[in-house]
Amino acid sequence: MLTRDRMRTDIAAMIHEAPEDIGGDDNLIDLGLDSMRAMNLLVQWNEAGLGLDFSEFAERLTLNAWWAIIDRSQSRA
Amino acid sequence: MSPPTARPVPLTEAQAGLWFAQQLDPANPIFNTGQYIDLAGPLDVAAFSRAVNGAVSEADALALRIGDHGGTPVQWVEEARRPWLQVIDLSTEPDPEGAARAAMAADMARPPDPARHALAAQCLYVLGPVRHLWYQRAHHLALDAFGTDLMVRRVASLYAAALGRGIAGPPLAGFDVALAEDAAYRDGAQKQKDAEYWRQAMEGLAEVAGLASGRAVTGRQALRHSVLLHEDLAAALRTAAAANRLPWPDLVAALVAAYVRRHAGTADVSIGVALMGRLGSPAARVACTLMNVVPFRLTPDEDAPLAGFLAQAAGTLLRGRRHGRYRGEQLRRDLGLLGAGRRLYGALVNLLPFDGQPILAGLQATRHVLGTGPVDDITLTFRGDPGAAGLRLEIEANPGLYEAADLAAHASRLPCFIRAALAAERLSVVPTATPTETRWLLNAWNATSHPIPGTSLATLLAARMAARPEVPALEFNGTVLSYAALDARTAALAAALQARGARRGRIVAVALERSVELVVALLAVIRTGAAYLPLDATHPTARILRILEDAAPVLALAEEPLPGGIPVLAPRDWPLEGGAPPDSPAPDDLAYVLYTSGSTGAPKGVAIEHRAIVNRLEWMREHYGFGPGDRILQKTPATFDVSVWEFFLAFLCGGTLVVAPPGAHKDPAALAALLRGARVTTAHFVPSMLAAFLAEPASAGLALRHVFCSGEELTADLRDRFHSRITAELHNLYGPTEAAVDVSAWPAAREDRSRPVPIGHPVWNTQLYVLDEALRPVPPGVTGELYLGGVQLARGYLGQPELTARAFLRSPFRAGERIYRTGDLARRRTDGAVVFLGRADQQVKIRGQRIELGEVETALAGYAGLRQARVILREDRPGDQRLVAYVVPGKGFDAAALRAHAAARLPDAMLPCAFVTLAALPVNGSGKLDRAALPEPNRSAATGRIASDETERRVADLFSEVLGVDGIGAEDDFFALGGHSLLAVELMLRVREIFGWDPGLGTLFEHPSVERLAALLKDSPVSDSGLGPIVRLQQGDEELAPLFAVHPAGGISWCYGGLARALSPRRTVYGLQAPALADGVATAESLDALAENYARRIDAIWPHGVVHLLGWSVGGIIAHAMAVRLRALGRRVGVLAMLDSYPSEVWRQQEEPADHAPYRALLAIGGHDPERLRDTVPLTREAVLAFLRAENNPLGQLLESALDGVVRVVRGNNRLVRRHEHERYDGVITHFHAAAQHATSAISPALWHPYAAAVEVVDVAAHHAELTGAAATAQIAPFLAARLAAFDMEEH
Repeated sequence: MLTRDRMRTDIAAMIHEAPEDIGGDDNLIDLGLDSMRAMNLLVQWNEAGLGLDFSEFAERLTLNAWWAIIDRSQSRA
Repeated sequence: MSPPTARPVPLTEAQAGLWFAQQLDPANPIFNTGQYIDLAGPLDVAAFSRAVNGAVSEADALALRIGDHGGTPVQWVEEARRPWLQVIDLSTEPDPEGAARAAMAADMARPPDPARHALAAQCLYVLGPVRHLWYQRAHHLALDAFGTDLMVRRVASLYAAALGRGIAGPPLAGFDVALAEDAAYRDGAQKQKDAEYWRQAMEGLAEVAGLASGRAVTGRQALRHSVLLHEDLAAALRTAAAANRLPWPDLVAALVAAYVRRHAGTADVSIGVALMGRLGSPAARVACTLMNVVPFRLTPDEDAPLAGFLAQAAGTLLRGRRHGRYRGEQLRRDLGLLGAGRRLYGALVNLLPFDGQPILAGLQATRHVLGTGPVDDITLTFRGDPGAAGLRLEIEANPGLYEAADLAAHASRLPCFIRAALAAERLSVVPTATPTETRWLLNAWNATSHPIPGTSLATLLAARMAARPEVPALEFNGTVLSYAALDARTAALAAALQARGARRGRIVAVALERSVELVVALLAVIRTGAAYLPLDATHPTARILRILEDAAPVLALAEEPLPGGIPVLAPRDWPLEGGAPPDSPAPDDLAYVLYTSGSTGAPKGVAIEHRAIVNRLEWMREHYGFGPGDRILQKTPATFDVSVWEFFLAFLCGGTLVVAPPGAHKDPAALAALLRGARVTTAHFVPSMLAAFLAEPASAGLALRHVFCSGEELTADLRDRFHSRITAELHNLYGPTEAAVDVSAWPAAREDRSRPVPIGHPVWNTQLYVLDEALRPVPPGVTGELYLGGVQLARGYLGQPELTARAFLRSPFRAGERIYRTGDLARRRTDGAVVFLGRADQQVKIRGQRIELGEVETALAGYAGLRQARVILREDRPGDQRLVAYVVPGKGFDAAALRAHAAARLPDAMLPCAFVTLAALPVNGSGKLDRAALPEPNRSAATGRIASDETERRVADLFSEVLGVDGIGAEDDFFALGGHSLLAVELMLRVREIFGWDPGLGTLFEHPSVERLAALLKDSPVSDSGLGPIVRLQQGDEELAPLFAVHPAGGISWCYGGLARALSPRRTVYGLQAPALADGVATAESLDALAENYARRIDAIWPHGVVHLLGWSVGGIIAHAMAVRLRALGRRVGVLAMLDSYPSEVWRQQEEPADHAPYRALLAIGGHDPERLRDTVPLTREAVLAFLRAENNPLGQLLESALDGVVRVVRGNNRLVRRHEHERYDGVITHFHAAAQHATSAISPALWHPYAAAVEVVDVAAHHAELTGAAATAQIAPFLAARLAAFDMEEH
C-alpha cells in the first residue's frame, strides 16, 4: 500500500527537499520537479503493481491531486 | 467529451513548424509517424475494435483536416476522416506476417497531403487465431510520441474494461484543451521569460556538430537500429541514479552529450532534448502534437569528478525543461540561426521512461516503431526504464549523413561509453571507442610487421652496383652511365669527400641543379657514411646561411661558393678515378637531413636515419614489384623529400634512373615529351601539378606502369581524370618529411570509387593512429589528429631537442617507442583506410610545398617599420591559392622595402603574393584574428605605362584573364601580380591559342612582364600575332622532322592546332599562312609562285632533313606544288598529306564563288561546317564575326584589317587555283578522303593519279568542312603519325 506520507517522502527525495516543506497544494514544478523526475516517481510507484497512467499525473502536479488518483486506484483494487 | 473543433482555427506553434517543413518538401513521407504492436495470444477482436474506436472517438486530432485560409494554414475536425479501425484478415495468405509488413511499409511510404488526405489510420492485421498486428499511423501534425503512447494506453484501458479486467478510467481530453493551452502560452508572460533564458543560454554558439560531419536535408526515410540494453548497464544506471540522487534519464542525457562531444571534437556541445510539452497542464491528456525540442548545451569538464559533471549537467537539463515550452523554431529565429548550416543542435536525445512495452490484457504485446517523424541528423531514443520493463536504445538517422553500419556502431559504442563512464571517476579516463574497436584501431589495422635487413642504404646500394655492372643506371639529357661507371664515379668522389672529413656522423651539403653530378654527389656522400643535406642555391642567402650554420656540414658540393665560407668542392674538381673502402654506416646513422618550414620562424632540419629510409625504399620496391625493367623519373627538387625515393629506388631494383633536365618539372609539355621519349615507367606528381599535366594536350594517351601522388590531397575528380587520359596504376601516398617520405599508401585505381580518396593503410613496420586531444584513439568515422609510429620516424630536428620533444611523444601504445604528431586531421574508414581531412594548425601547403605561416610571419616581423603582420592562405577563386600578408605599418614603413626584406629571407614559394596594409588587424569577440574580415587583396595592378600596341594589349588581356586582375599595365610582372607556376602553364596555353605558337614555359620566366613577353612574341622569327607567314602550332621533340601545314582558302592555318596537338609523339608543327593577309601585300601572281615562296621559307627555318607537308582543300594543292618545288631545290620530301584536296580541273568545273565565300571560309577555319549553320548564321561579315566571338573563337578576335586580308586571300586563292596547272610529283600522296561527303560523287582522290607516283587513300567518316574538327582529327592523327614515324625511322 502506498501512503500519502510515503509519496511525500519520495517526492522530497527526488527534488532534494525536506518532506515537511512540501505542502499538499504546492505546485511540484515550482519545487523543482520536471517530467523526468515525475516519470521516475511513477515508475517507482508502479513497481507495486498499481498500473498508474502518467498522463493523469501530468495534468496537475500537486501532492493532493496525486494522492487522489492513488487513493481512487487503491480503493478500487 | 469536449465538443469537436468544427470551426477552422489556426495551427498550434508545434504544428506550424511541421506544416511549413512539409510544404517545403510535399512529397516526403518522413512526416508520417507509425508503429505496430505485435499481439500474441487470444484477442477478442470485437472488444478490441470497440476499444480502439472508443479511443479514436476521443482523439479529435486524428480527424483533423488542414486547409488554407488566405495564405495561413487553418485546421478543423472532419468526422469523415476519423480513422476507425480496419480489420484485415491476412490469415489465408502464404506469408501473413510478410504481407502485413509490406502493407504497412507501403502505407508509411505514402506522403499524405494534409489538405487532401486523412492524417491517420488504425488497422488490425489478423495473421492467425492467436497472432495480430495492430498498426497505427498518423501524420506528425496530428500526433507525437507522447500522444501515440497515450492512445495505446487508452485503448489498453478500454480493452481491459471491456473484458471485465479493469476500469476504463477517464476519457482523453479534447483537442480544444491543447489549443487553449497553446494560445495561453503564446500570449502569456512565461514566454518572454523563456525567450530571455534561451537567448542567454545559447549565446556565442559555434558551429554545431552531430555524430557525423556535415549537414544534410531531411531524407525520405530514416535509417533505424534498435537494441535492448544489457541488464548490467541498467543496473549501473539504477545504482548511479540512486547514488547521485538524480533521475536516470538525466544521467543518460548528460553522457550522451559527452559522447557526442567526443565525436564532434569541439570544446562544447549542443544536443537536442525532446520534451513532452504539456507537463502540469490538462493538455497532458490530449492525444495530439505538442512536443518540443530544446537545446542542451554543455562544456563537459572531463577532468572533474564524474558526480560533479553529472550534477552540473542535470541542473542544466532541469532549467531547460522549466523553459521547455519555448519553441525551438522560435529560438532559431531569435538567434538568427536560419538557413543551411545554422542549427541549435545536431544529435537529438529522446527519453521515454514511461513508454516501455504496452500492457494489453491477456496478451503478449511488443512495440515496433516504424517512424517518428523527420530526422535531420541522428535521434537517440531511450525507451522504457532500467527496471523490470527493460531499457531499449532506438537509433534513427538521416541516410544523407549516416550509413546502416554507423548506426550499428553507435548502438554498441554508446552503451559501452555510458557503462564505462558510470564506472569511472572522471570522464577523461573513458575511451570513446569500444574495446573491440580499440583492438582494430591500435593493432589489427597497424599489423605491418615485416622483417627488413638490419643494414644501411650504403650497403644495399653497394650490392646493387656490383650485381649488373654493364646495365644503364642513369640517363640525363643523352648521357648514359652504366652501373659500373656510376660506381666508379661515386667511389672516386667518396674518397675525395672522406679526405675532406666526410664520415659517419657528419653532414655534407649538396647544392647542385638536377644533373648527373647531383646523383653522383648524393650517392658518394651516402658511401662515406655521412648524411647529405640538399640545398637550393636559388634560395635567399640569409636562409642558406642559417641552414649551414645550423647543420654545420663539413663541406659542400656546389658549383659556386656558398655563404659563410664553407669549403666547396665543385664538380669540375671532382676526381673521376680512385676508390676508398666505404666506411659503411650503421642502421642508426643519419642518411640525410631535410630542412622544412618551421612555425617558430626558423626552418628546422629533419634528421632521417638509414634504418628509416631503408624500410621506406624496401617496402616500395617489394610492394609494387619494382625490378630491372623499371625506368624511374627523377624530377622532384632534392630539397623536397619525395626526391629521396626517386633518387635511390631505381638503383635498389636494378632499374634505370631518368633524370629530368632542370626546370622540366614545371613544364607539362616538356614532361610529356620526356616521359614518352625516355620510356619512363614510373613518375611522381604533386596533385596540383598532375592536374596541370592532364590539362596539357600532349599528356593524352601516355602509358606508364606507376604514377605516384603525394604532397597534397589527391581528389577523386583528379583520379578519374587521370584514368581517362593516362594508362597507369595510380597510387596515393602520404607522409611528412619527419617519417622518411611516406607512411601510407592507397591504390587509386581506375575502379576505385572512394570519395574522398583515402591516404590508405600504413607501410611496413609503421602505425597510423587517429587520436583525440587526450591521445585516445577515435572510433572509425570520427575526425581526430593523425599520429605516426614505427621505424620510419625521424631521429628528430637537428640540434632542437625541445622542438623534437614536442613533436615526437612517448607512445602510449607501444612501450619504449615514440609517436609523431603530424598536425593533420584524419579519420579511419570502417575498412581501416585513413582519410586525410586537412590541417589542424597553421601549416599550409602550396603546390605540395609545406609552409608554416609562422615562419613567413617571423620573417616579415624582422622588418623594422612594421607593427604587426599576419599571413593567411586565401583561395578567392577555386583552385587559386595565394599567400597574402596583412600588415600594420609602423614608423618608416615602406611597402617596397618590406617586400624586398621578405624576398631576401624567404624562398619564392613562401613569399606572399600580396601585401595588404591595414590600420589594425580585425579581431573577433574572443580576441582572435577575424579571418573573414580580412579584405581580399586589391587585384588591380597598373603601375607605369599602359599597354600601347596591339600585341601588348593582347598580352595584357591574357594576364588579366589568367590572373583575375584588372588594369594590367605594360610593365606589370606576371609573377609579382600573383602568377604562380600553374597559372603560368595556363597563360602559355592561352598564348598558344591566341598567337598560334608556344614560346615555351621557360620564356615566361625570362620575360615575365607584358612588354617583355609581347616583345618576344613580336620579335619571333616565326610569327607575329598569329597572322605571320609561319606560325608554330606546336613545339615538339627537336629530334623529329617538323610537319608544315599549308593554309586552306582563307589563308590562316590555325585550324590545324587540334591535329598538331594530337600527334604522338609530340612533333613540331608549323602553319604556313598567306602573306597577303597583311595589309598592303599583294596576292601572288600564280600558285607556283606562292609554292616557291613557301618552299623558300621552309628552307630557311628547316635547312636540313626531310620535309613533311600537309594541306586541307586549297592547302593540299599548294602543298603538292611545294613538294615539286622542294624536290627541285634538292630537298627530300617525306609525307605529302592532303585533307580532301582535288586537282584544279575540278575547281574549274565549279561555278565562280559567291561574294560570301570568304565568310564561309572563315567559319570553316573556325571549325564549323558552313552548311550546317546555314539557317542560324547569315553569311555576312557581321553575323559570322558575332558568331565566332560569341563562342570565344580566337578568330573572332581578328582585327578589321586582318579580316580584310582574309577576304582578299579567299578571292585570290580561288583565282590562283583555277589557273593552276599541276606538275607531276614523283612521290606518294596520302589523301584523307571526306568519305561522308563524296561517297557517291564523281569527285575522287583518283583524279590525282596523273600528278603523283601513287595515291594512298584514307577514308575519314566526316564531311569536307569537318576535317579539322575533333572527330576527324581522332581518325587522321594516328594514321598520319604512323606515316611520319616511318620516315623518321629511315632518317636514323
